[in-house]
Amino acid sequence: MTGPAEALERRIDDLRAAVRRAVTAGDRARARTLRTELHRAEQEWESALEALAPEPAPPAPVPAPAALLPLREQVHQALTLLGAPAAPKLIVQVHEAFSTGGITSARLTSLRRDEERSFRSAPQMRPYYLCAALTADLLAPARGLLAVSTWPMATRVIGPLSPRVDFLTAAARLAEQIERLADPGPSARRLLWRFAANIPGAATGPDQASPTAVAAAALAELDLHRAADQRHRDDAARRARDRLDEAQQLFGTKFGVVARGAGAT
Amino acid sequence: MPKLPPPDPRLALLRGSVPPKRHNARTIAALTTNPGCVRRAVLDTAGIDKDALARHLEFPAPFGQSSFAITRGNAFEAQLKADGCAELLTLLRETLELDLTEVAYADLESVGDNTSEDVRNTYSEQQLAHGGENTLFDHPLLRLIVAGQSVYLEPDLVAFQHQGRFHVVEIKSFAVIDGQADPSKVAAAAIQSAVYVHALRQLLGRPEAVADEVVLVCPKDFSNRPVATKVDVRKQLLVLDHQLKRMDDVDTLLSALPAGLSLGLAPGPDGTPTRPVGELTAALGEMSARYSPDCLSHCELGFFCRDEATGCTDALGTAVREQLGGVDTVAEALQLAQGTWAGDEYQAEVAAVLRTTARVFSETA
Repeated sequence: MTGPAEALERRIDDLRAAVRRAVTAGDRARARTLRTELHRAEQEWESALEALAPEPAPPAPVPAPAALLPLREQVHQALTLLGAPAAPKLIVQVHEAFSTGGITSARLTSLRRDEERSFRSAPQMRPYYLCAALTADLLAPARGLLAVSTWPMATRVIGPLSPRVDFLTAAARLAEQIERLADPGPSARRLLWRFAANIPGAATGPDQASPTAVAAAALAELDLHRAADQRHRDDAARRARDRLDEAQQLFGTKFGVVARGAGAT
Repeated sequence: MPKLPPPDPRLALLRGSVPPKRHNARTIAALTTNPGCVRRAVLDTAGIDKDALARHLEFPAPFGQSSFAITRGNAFEAQLKADGCAELLTLLRETLELDLTEVAYADLESVGDNTSEDVRNTYSEQQLAHGGENTLFDHPLLRLIVAGQSVYLEPDLVAFQHQGRFHVVEIKSFAVIDGQADPSKVAAAAIQSAVYVHALRQLLGRPEAVADEVVLVCPKDFSNRPVATKVDVRKQLLVLDHQLKRMDDVDTLLSALPAGLSLGLAPGPDGTPTRPVGELTAALGEMSARYSPDCLSHCELGFFCRDEATGCTDALGTAVREQLGGVDTVAEALQLAQGTWAGDEYQAEVAAVLRTTARVFSETA
């Protein structure tokens, strides 16, 4: 394969040696002709090298068409579909399953802070804000959860039972959404199975996860927890409305040493 | 918070002019692997930086966990705990037979935004002792007194059964293949979990409230699916208890050492140790070590002790050490085998065994 280029390399070496010999011998005319020849050989070598270069890599698969909506709109869509506070990772998965255009969880990390800054500089200027879910005991922002400001306070508070309740709520709503679609697509089915695998009686295997059965199983377990969870959440929501200002109700309080006596109950 | 008694002044002298090194679950677990080693007991009780000591003695130990292993472990744990501990809950419902209603979850990894150890510890203690209706306690911060210092410990998860007891749940990222896992890794996880069980029992003040069995969660086969196994840690708890009591009993440990002994590195103004190596080696020699090849993976001084134990039968492993009871060095063993030395009276039995073995080898060779 490297034949012509290698032959040229050898020829160039020979010519260089010949040029050196001619110059040392004082034969200028011969040196000049040899130089011209050397130059030509070098040019040929360059073009041979170009021919050798491998074909340019095939163009990367066309990335998913860029989303038409801004990031916060997309996150809002996913959260509305889930109907409960969710972690960035789940939001990304839901978005991939139901919408076009990719979002990465890395972009979601700064979102809550940006929203808070925007709210504090000009409160209530947007129809909704992406805000924090609050822990029921301290009313502090819950680790790694995003919520929507237009939701009732009780939905945005996380009590001890709420992580499970929210998981089941999300499972039931996802299943209903998938049922409505004619062809849900592989990522939506995979997401449904991920939920179904961890709900008792929802499905027996990845291929057997039927949206109706998953929704029914999720609602059945939900019935066990709903009353107790609602009590916790209503109680905490009342406290939050009474004690916190507008921004704190959305983005949570900072836990200080002062709160030791009053807050950490 | 119990008040700590003032530390024995002899420990400070032994350590030199530096603050004691803090323990963690791994170092406490490592304590129990070689309970017979006086050297390790003294060094750990005094909180001496064994790593710095070993480096100064020119026997540095390539220690520490690989960053890839840490990342993998964290990713696996995050996967299990995602969506309200969904996967973990499914596993625990199978292994611990949790009721369907037992799903309450308390996140103790931070208190509000505050992640300081004191605040988290106080909050964890409140939640574990009085938060009766919770089932899953994520990353509680426990406190244990080791050799007069308080040590913070952070189990991956503590699960509480309404009908039964607290269970320590340890999430590890080594695989269980076909129902089998690497025994040394399981042993390490068991002893680490035993430390958590011990700390949790001390916190609650009721030993019966914490189960002897811990739940070990690992990836199954070559997949990312988790599998849970119950591991009995009663034996590890006994060893741990023995070793911790021994460290509390500073007097017995120190009374065997000459007065004024110090292992301080005497760091110069730029922090480099100035203490002569020979002097340190002599000081270490005052404490008898009990080297076995295992030490290399548990103890920073392992390479130093191995060098010291060259020619001793101990260096060949515990199996050889037990078979050659009473024979200290390889040279003695060879002399006994060849019959060039009859040995003492108490070595007669070993000598006979060695001679027989030598004869068998010479006849078959």
